[in-house]
Amino acid sequence: MSFLLELLVSGVVLGLIYGLVALGFVLIYKASRVVNFAQGELLAMGAFSAHFFLVVLKLPVVLAFLLALGFTALVGYLLERVFLKRLVGQPIISVIMATIGLAFFLDGLLHLTPYGAGSYGYPTFLPEGGVAFLGARISYAQLLALFLTLAFLFLFSWFFQRSTLGVAMRSVADDQMAAMSLGVSVAKVFALAWAAAGLAAAAGGVMVGTISGLNFDGLVHIGLRVFPVVILGGLDSIPGAVVAGILIGVLENLAAGFLDPYIPGGGTRDVFPFLALLLVLWFKPHGLFGTEEIERV
Amino acid sequence: MRNPWAQTGNYRTSYRQDTSIFATHRELVSLLLFLGFLLVLPQFLSRTQVFILDLILVYSVAVLGLNITTGYAGLINIGQAAFMGVGAYTAALLAPQGLPFWLVIPLGGLVAAFFGFLVGIPSLRVKHLYLAMATLAFQVVFEWAVGHMPLLKQGGAMDMPRASFFGYEAGFRNHFHFWYYASLFTLVLLALFFRNLLRTRYGRALVAVRDNDRAADAMGMDPGRTKLFAFALGAFYAGVAGVLYAYLSRAVVIEDYVFAHSVKYLAMAIVGGLGTLVGSFLGPLFLVLLDVNMESLSNLIKALGFSVAGVDVASALRPLAFGLIIVLFLMFEPRGLYNWWRLVRSYFRTWPFKY
Repeated sequence: MSFLLELLVSGVVLGLIYGLVALGFVLIYKASRVVNFAQGELLAMGAFSAHFFLVVLKLPVVLAFLLALGFTALVGYLLERVFLKRLVGQPIISVIMATIGLAFFLDGLLHLTPYGAGSYGYPTFLPEGGVAFLGARISYAQLLALFLTLAFLFLFSWFFQRSTLGVAMRSVADDQMAAMSLGVSVAKVFALAWAAAGLAAAAGGVMVGTISGLNFDGLVHIGLRVFPVVILGGLDSIPGAVVAGILIGVLENLAAGFLDPYIPGGGTRDVFPFLALLLVLWFKPHGLFGTEEIERV
Repeated sequence: MRNPWAQTGNYRTSYRQDTSIFATHRELVSLLLFLGFLLVLPQFLSRTQVFILDLILVYSVAVLGLNITTGYAGLINIGQAAFMGVGAYTAALLAPQGLPFWLVIPLGGLVAAFFGFLVGIPSLRVKHLYLAMATLAFQVVFEWAVGHMPLLKQGGAMDMPRASFFGYEAGFRNHFHFWYYASLFTLVLLALFFRNLLRTRYGRALVAVRDNDRAADAMGMDPGRTKLFAFALGAFYAGVAGVLYAYLSRAVVIEDYVFAHSVKYLAMAIVGGLGTLVGSFLGPLFLVLLDVNMESLSNLIKALGFSVAGVDVASALRPLAFGLIIVLFLMFEPRGLYNWWRLVRSYFRTWPFKY
């Protein structure tokens, strides 16, 4: 029983992080219909820059993490300004390929630093152990990630509901032409969406780093895991990203916990989200909360 | 009738002429001359150089297939390497049983085509991005499944036998030369098929469905069947390429058929020019040569001593240059190298006049 509960709890924590990273993806997609394959690289950038600020520059924890968030947001902003701005209106295959190309580009940049290979970890800033919850043990790192993710999600939803910029972004997502005619700068919104995606990815990266350490391949892999999440949640739904994130996180943890012992080689964690993705595509292609596209000739 | 040898410019006056492959006799002759050049070329090259040419030929086959699914039919496929892997693993199972290579090549293609058909089924309901996701999922599931099958050595190296052709053994010395000719023959055959596809109703249906599937439906085409056909055909090409690659590298390992390679083929198709025949050769040529030169460049950098501890310059430069090339092409020459080729060709076609 406590085994199941532990799996569930760590699944929810993992899922919330997925949700946060997927949120960045959905933001970009909603605003500009761009599918971002570089989300995993942004995540790695955030996690490693936090490590750099913490270990090499020896800054305090909170400051280092905030700087990492800012830095990655800047990277996202620059990617949009320099590269993707010129691809507006191109066919979807070009846009997909462009973000894949950017993913490789960032990959190469990271490999130019020592972070490209080997494993790293943040210096411990949390006490050992954890709290007991109905017989399951939750580590402080997980607890922190839980609270921070919820805080971020709350912050994002406040931003979109209340702030002028957030409302502008939602208006562009709704109807670009109408937003433009009402004086919203669509170009600014696109860039802002990328900055926000960078921020969300970096937050996810820092939390993954805190829980399970930093490894380039592992971090980049999370970027691909975003796709099952957003398809399940619906490509253009922000609450969908969070709900589906939790579902996928729990699913893969349960699969790993209960099925791995029976499958030689294990690794069900890596494949189950994608099996779920295939099933969703077959039976409910627009996901749980996505808008159904209605086509006219 | 004008003298066809002296013809400059485009004088097509009938439907028959318009669907002809070669506009002028000069084009036909120059193509034949080029093929003859390709036939004698490996005699003047070292084994390594022939190996690089082999790679270009094999990749061209895979990219041709991608140009059918993604270029003609507009179905985004980011799992081409997995289809190649299906072909390669078919070869790894069949070739040691003593089947001759000229039988294994089409068989590998057919098995891959069957998988392409299966993966294409979601395309009956969804399109664009969603379809890309389906092929991505196939790629991931393929990698995982191979890694868990004892039959396929869990993705470890499976040996491929050397090929023999009616008593002619392709030994160590002439292995690369042998596969150069085998790949060239296969490629020419498949390229002819590709070129002729657009002259058939099936090929034109692909383009019609890409441009507007509802309108194509209204005009009596079956979009669902057309899409499945495109997927199966593209996967067939990939399967053939996979068998060729397996024979060429003499072993089948899962690392050759992972996601990064799917991206590579897509990049080749785009750099060459999506949906074009010539682009299917120019793209692989360009990116393979880039890759080879990257190696020497990173060696040079290492030799000059610009290295930081713990950094592998070669593994950094490759994705860096690769990603940058893709993005730059998309930004500044979205029609790919084919466009440059087109400009050069039209210059010669109308020579000595300006237009």
